[in-house]
Amino acid sequence: MILQTDTISLTLQGNRLLNDIALEVRPGEVLGLIGPNGAGKSTLLRVMAGLLRPDTGCVFLDGRDLFTMPPEERGRHLAYLPQEAPASIGMSVRDVVALGRLPHRRTASAQQDAAAVRQALDAVGMSAFADRSSARLSGGERARILLARALAVQAPVMLADEPVAALDPAQALTVMNLFGQYAAQGQAVAVVLHDLALAARFCTRIAVLSEGCLVGIGTPAEVLTDALFAEVYGVAVRRCGEVAVPWSLVASTRRP
Amino acid sequence: MSRYALTVAILTTLVLALAILSLAAGPAGIGVTQGLSDMLHGRATIAATIIGQIRLPRMILALLIGATLGLSGAALQGLVRNPLADPGVLGISGCGALGAVLVFYTGVSAVWAPALPLAALSGAGLATLLLLVLTRGGTLVLVLAGAALGSMSAALLALTLNLVPSPYASYEIMHWLMGSLSRASQQDVLIAMPGLLIGSALLFSTGRSLDALTLGEDVAQTMGFSLRVVQWRVVIGTALAVGSGVAVAGGIGFVGLVMPHLLRPLAGARPSRLLLPSALGGAALLLAADLFVRLPVSGAELQLGVVTSLIGTPVFFWQVWRLRGRPV
Repeated sequence: MILQTDTISLTLQGNRLLNDIALEVRPGEVLGLIGPNGAGKSTLLRVMAGLLRPDTGCVFLDGRDLFTMPPEERGRHLAYLPQEAPASIGMSVRDVVALGRLPHRRTASAQQDAAAVRQALDAVGMSAFADRSSARLSGGERARILLARALAVQAPVMLADEPVAALDPAQALTVMNLFGQYAAQGQAVAVVLHDLALAARFCTRIAVLSEGCLVGIGTPAEVLTDALFAEVYGVAVRRCGEVAVPWSLVASTRRP
Repeated sequence: MSRYALTVAILTTLVLALAILSLAAGPAGIGVTQGLSDMLHGRATIAATIIGQIRLPRMILALLIGATLGLSGAALQGLVRNPLADPGVLGISGCGALGAVLVFYTGVSAVWAPALPLAALSGAGLATLLLLVLTRGGTLVLVLAGAALGSMSAALLALTLNLVPSPYASYEIMHWLMGSLSRASQQDVLIAMPGLLIGSALLFSTGRSLDALTLGEDVAQTMGFSLRVVQWRVVIGTALAVGSGVAVAGGIGFVGLVMPHLLRPLAGARPSRLLLPSALGGAALLLAADLFVRLPVSGAELQLGVVTSLIGTPVFFWQVWRLRGRPV
């Protein structure tokens, strides 16, 4: 399934958050959404997930308007992983992951549900924890079971908001690898990222947002240029092999 | 048998046993089976009258009011994701009682009987609505808003008592506020039944949405659950159930707080799995408390609401103890 935003704009409380953004997330790709804090990445992802209705423009899922689709059907097509984890869940790990099957409650058999939950738990390496209470997990483990919940939806489109923000490098690699595998199965993945090295390493394409506008989209090599770092982030970079390391601030009139 | 099924089976047996005991308990030594069969065959015996007009209404109301209080506590706790949510703690019962006392005091209910449950429903409904509007801010705001509502209804109830012309009427109102089923009649059953049943059905229908909500409002919405729909169901369901209960039995607190809390370790933390056990547990608790107040302990019959509060307060303290030191 292909998810398209058609020149969407959004103003909330007088602030122009998104400005004529047109992009698409294609099956088989991991699209990275990058940009400085406040650029509108999370807002864009929330619009793509159907949580915020744009003022103008549309979001299409395989050509169908996302906002007129029946909510339950939309729930089967889109899996959304927010940045903040819920405060306390208290259920067993398996029960949390099984919540991802709720959109399928009228369409899937109990066996299909159980298989999807098992697969998702295996994917994040938490099968051994299935019967443990989710209240007794570390931050990284919690992040992984919430990811497993999203995987268990088995949706053709996955939208994740900074899924690796609180993870150590090994956990972050594991998670990004999972998105890669998910895309390799033909699903479309869009991920908001702050870590540009991870974006360069795992994303098929990268979309750059700045002050609510889409200022660049393409392969990591095309997008992550020195000019972009200076223009969008206000930093000068040094190249260590393929990786660009932010090195110093550039004097810029755009960013205080 | 899973732990959930076992819990439900044990609680169901307990409710049935207490219901039969409730029919059998009373000062008049009559046979329950004889009374029931006389009643069903339309024989106008003393046993039939006592069972049909005194004990059966009392048993039915204790069972249904207890069940809906337990259920509304479980649904509210699931909705606001806070183990301290309860119609009594959040001031919903208090506002229901205020509505009822106002029509009581003004004499409207003497002219038109349905005014009493309707006023209690409106009071409970307005309170729940206000809580939902005020508590977009989270847990702390919710508890504060509940405390404010509770204080407001207490103040206005005190004002009403203050203004009541005769001391006898004020004693009547005070007594009623303490909560009791000792004067439950067939008419009370007819008044309360629709609200209790429709309210329960609405609350039971929220199970899966409450499960989804444990992941946060955004995720629930992306899975196809509308927060607004589940909020309205819980608001209207709680208002119907609590309002109808308050209208016929006065203020009975803490059942909704105690039951989900006691049953969570047995039934699991999934909100949908807590609804039925909490309803059964609430029914058992109120039936048991209503049996207890009928015991000749002190000469005077204890009020039902006093007993549930005495049971509930330690659980409230226990919750506060568990939650201490956690960031809000």
